[in-house]
Amino acid sequence: MTNTDGQLYTIEGFAAALIMIATAYLVVNATSIYTAGDTHISDMQLEALGTDALKVMNIPVSKDEPSMMQEIIKATPSSGGNNLEFGTNFSYLINNKTGQNSDHIQFSATYTCRNSDNSTASIPLSYSRNLSGGEHAVRVTKWVTVNKGGVAFCGTTNTERAVLVEVLMWRD
Amino acid sequence: MGFLVSFSFFFLAMVINQSTVVGQTTAESVIEFPKNDIRDIREVITRNTTLSSQMAVKNDILVISLSRKNAVVWYDPPQIENNHTVIKNISYNNGVTEFNENWTAL
Repeated sequence: MTNTDGQLYTIEGFAAALIMIATAYLVVNATSIYTAGDTHISDMQLEALGTDALKVMNIPVSKDEPSMMQEIIKATPSSGGNNLEFGTNFSYLINNKTGQNSDHIQFSATYTCRNSDNSTASIPLSYSRNLSGGEHAVRVTKWVTVNKGGVAFCGTTNTERAVLVEVLMWRD
Repeated sequence: MGFLVSFSFFFLAMVINQSTVVGQTTAESVIEFPKNDIRDIREVITRNTTLSSQMAVKNDILVISLSRKNAVVWYDPPQIENNHTVIKNISYNNGVTEFNENWTAL
């Protein structure tokens, strides 16, 4: 007449329902939302773009000629400046997109020198915009060897020296 | 029967849920590997083996790497072995990744 068969049936139904709800929750929770903690993804893309552009600018046309980057550093005075050749070439390389419109990535470039007392000094090389401090910027670097002949460079003359060109890049 | 099927659904959903975290942490460890730094250091060390101012360039590289790139770099002065230029003990260490190489010119 009355027995306990239905109890097992009911419990099984409850358990299956709970498992299905947990599954649905896991599925919905698997979507990833792009948060402030994920900025390293777009930062890496910007870094790759910058290092490629700097590498292209440091390749000479033929073996015994100086590269564009070496000539740019030679032409920049020791107190620094806003080198137009660096600005136009670097900006073209990083902002070039397929099609008509170009990107708006800004940059601020310096190069670092080693002084005779083993301290380092950064000399401004070029900038597309003044840094205001609120930009989310990435830094890309490139080693360049330069000999400025008779002009004093990093405290020496007629010596080949290695400097590190550093560029801060950010999106507007 | 439905009970067993729901277990398999649950397992699949768990796998898909954890895949996001796995993919992100894997990508992060790839991103922080200093591939471009190491290639750049190798290029400036091995391209300039015939310079007259070897000591000045070497000190430049060592000091600027440490102060600006937070990396300890070392390399022995270039020597000639068997008619090839050889640079031994090229080392790079940025605290997370180490790189060591004995380089021979072609």
